[in-house]
Amino acid sequence: MAQSNFAVNRRTVLRAALAAGITLPISGALASCAGGGSSGGSGGQSTGKTSANNPFGMADKSSVDAVIFNGGYGVDYVTFAGKIVEKNHAGSTVKVSPSTQISQQLQPRFVSGNPPDLIDDSGAQSIGVNTIASQLEDLAPVLEANNLEGTKIADTLYPGVKERGMVGDKMLVLNYVMTIYGLWYSASLFEANGWQPPKTWDDLIDLGAKAKSKGKYLFCWGKEAATYYQTMVMDSAIKEGGDEVRLALENLKPGCWSLPAVQGVLKKMEQIVKAGYMKPGGAGTQFTAAQAQWSKDQAAILYPSGSWIENEMKSQTKAGFKMTGIPDPTLTSSSKMPFEALNAAPGEQFIVPTKAKNGAGGKEVLRAMLSKDAATNFAKTKLAPTIVKGTVPSDGFGSTALQSQIKMLDAAGEKVFNIRFVDLYGTNPDMLVPWNSFLSGQLDAAGLTKALQGITDKVAKDSSVKKVDIK
Amino acid sequence: MPSAGTPTAAPRRGGRRMRPSRLLFVLITVGLPMVLYLGLVIWPFLQAIYYSLTNWGGFSSSMDFIGLDNYKAIFSDDVFMKALRNNVILAILVPLVTVVLSFVLATMVTVGGSTTGAVRGLKGSSIYRVVSFFPYTIPAIVIGLIWAQMYDPSKGIVNGLLTHLPFGLGDRFNSFAWLGETATAMPASIFVIVWGFVGFYMVLFVAAIKGIPAELYDAARIDGAGRLRTMFSVTLPMIRETVQTAYIYLGVLALDAFVYMAALNPTGGPDNSTLVMSQDLFKTAFSQGQYGRASAMGVVLAAVTLLFAALVFGVNRLLGGKSDK
Repeated sequence: MAQSNFAVNRRTVLRAALAAGITLPISGALASCAGGGSSGGSGGQSTGKTSANNPFGMADKSSVDAVIFNGGYGVDYVTFAGKIVEKNHAGSTVKVSPSTQISQQLQPRFVSGNPPDLIDDSGAQSIGVNTIASQLEDLAPVLEANNLEGTKIADTLYPGVKERGMVGDKMLVLNYVMTIYGLWYSASLFEANGWQPPKTWDDLIDLGAKAKSKGKYLFCWGKEAATYYQTMVMDSAIKEGGDEVRLALENLKPGCWSLPAVQGVLKKMEQIVKAGYMKPGGAGTQFTAAQAQWSKDQAAILYPSGSWIENEMKSQTKAGFKMTGIPDPTLTSSSKMPFEALNAAPGEQFIVPTKAKNGAGGKEVLRAMLSKDAATNFAKTKLAPTIVKGTVPSDGFGSTALQSQIKMLDAAGEKVFNIRFVDLYGTNPDMLVPWNSFLSGQLDAAGLTKALQGITDKVAKDSSVKKVDIK
Repeated sequence: MPSAGTPTAAPRRGGRRMRPSRLLFVLITVGLPMVLYLGLVIWPFLQAIYYSLTNWGGFSSSMDFIGLDNYKAIFSDDVFMKALRNNVILAILVPLVTVVLSFVLATMVTVGGSTTGAVRGLKGSSIYRVVSFFPYTIPAIVIGLIWAQMYDPSKGIVNGLLTHLPFGLGDRFNSFAWLGETATAMPASIFVIVWGFVGFYMVLFVAAIKGIPAELYDAARIDGAGRLRTMFSVTLPMIRETVQTAYIYLGVLALDAFVYMAALNPTGGPDNSTLVMSQDLFKTAFSQGQYGRASAMGVVLAAVTLLFAALVFGVNRLLGGKSDK
């Protein structure tokens, strides 16, 4: 008797678990029923008078509701800017709520027409911006406004901010943190072995042989981060073939992965895999564990990544590592862009929903974040540059990685590009699959090309996916 | 009899009309669960089915009715079909391996002992019971994370032990990616699920076997039946219903499998060899913002689960009909 009771309980639990799986997508809609049609236009907007100190017309004594992705950078930098806003607008309050599940937590609020005033839409669970494009404010006016020191914000930023934020013909996203993609290495290790940081793919292959003679590998990778190699390959291919290659990839053109520049780089990568310069087992290794093989064990000597790597591996970096970044290598000496050209994309997408009650307040917080004090505070505490120029002293607050980032940015000047389609269409999970197979040697360059083309073609042909025309 | 004092609880002879208190009783015991069931189970199901026929993006209240387009899309999507196939493999292998293994273990600790004297299990069987039940007390996500670490190619304990195998066999496991090779990812994942559940189902079967009258075993033994013969001809037929129940629970679990797969191989494994439908659903909804299509996947998952349960019932009835004679 007791037995069958137990069994019933067990079944209920299983059924509940299954039902949860199915009903997950519905919870939002249920919430919308509860919301009861409060979705009437932009009715909630309350605005005050605009003035030099209040360019967006934030209402007096209003409150700003900001939901911020609580990832590698935390949320205290927004709280810092919030404090500045509270000081400049006496009586107003800025409430900063941390979240690691932006999509799940904000979905019901969007459906019921009650979104927050400012969102840092980042992290693994972020909302795909093109799915909510029609519900977002144009943020171009923020760049046109003056910062708290009285300079036009657009004039204080690194290049590419506006372009990166464009969805259709509006700038809906303001990316706050400058992220630089490149190859990272230990300057102390390279010095001790007399190695030169590689500038071309042939340098890379030479270095692979040298590393092997010391019992080390050239690269290592983790299963969730295999596509870091895709970023490196695309960067090199774009440098080789110029904008033509970039636009083909970005706009999901048929045959984009078969362009000569892309194929040239993939062939070199294949050569590295075949020569055994990749640390084996990456397809079964968790990515931070793999990164520690590079930063702590030094079993691999190079790692392609974004500049978040220093912060991410802080607790697992060997003492005296002297982490340093260089741009991704070039393929031939006749490449359309020089070695110094850089994939530098501002990341951490900030958005302001149109239906937010205090959208002007959300923009005011952004304005504070883009001013000298808050931007310097960010660079100093997070060891990463924001999109605001000139906030990092030459000693990089004592970080070699930050020094090298500023050096790369300065060397690149206007020759900065970035790649958006992977994030825009959420294809990364699909792309990880062939990349893991390729890096572990189970798939050759031709097989990888076919798989990647299949993934981009699928998005391109799917009429239910809204495309963003990238220029 | 005890109702004599309370006129409201009069005998129901001849009274077709319900008394108010009885009506209240019915409303509370049947009506309330019914409302909860309709509101929390049936209604969401219907909603999911409706959304699966729309192009709902998830972040607005507007959606268009698009008929069966979502179903057409997912059935022509090779990734989803692969996930469906993986689920079917799981639904076949996980219950089979778990049930067989736990049935054998349960037999050992209850009736597999000495053939003289009373029917009993092996010596020290209570220790085996505790040891094998232990994994069940650990939450699924923890099991997944622990095993993901144990399978780590460079620092995991699995390769740490295997690399010490003699005669050069060990070298083959140097940095071998158990979860990163198409050939081993699925078996390795199935092993983890089975590992987590064998103990629980063993205890379930032990309880069922304890309910079998000892006389049956005595009679079988007098007739000259050995251990194996007793297992197949006495134990198995007597606990058939329990085995069927176990089979269905394990199948439902295998058709979901989200927690284990997300912990072991969050990206779907090499060549999507461990991707399951619930993972594909999650990705479609939350990273690609196609809630309508994700709902369609959910509906397919529910349909496959019901089909599986019906199949197990049907097979058991077929087999059961024979042995009842």
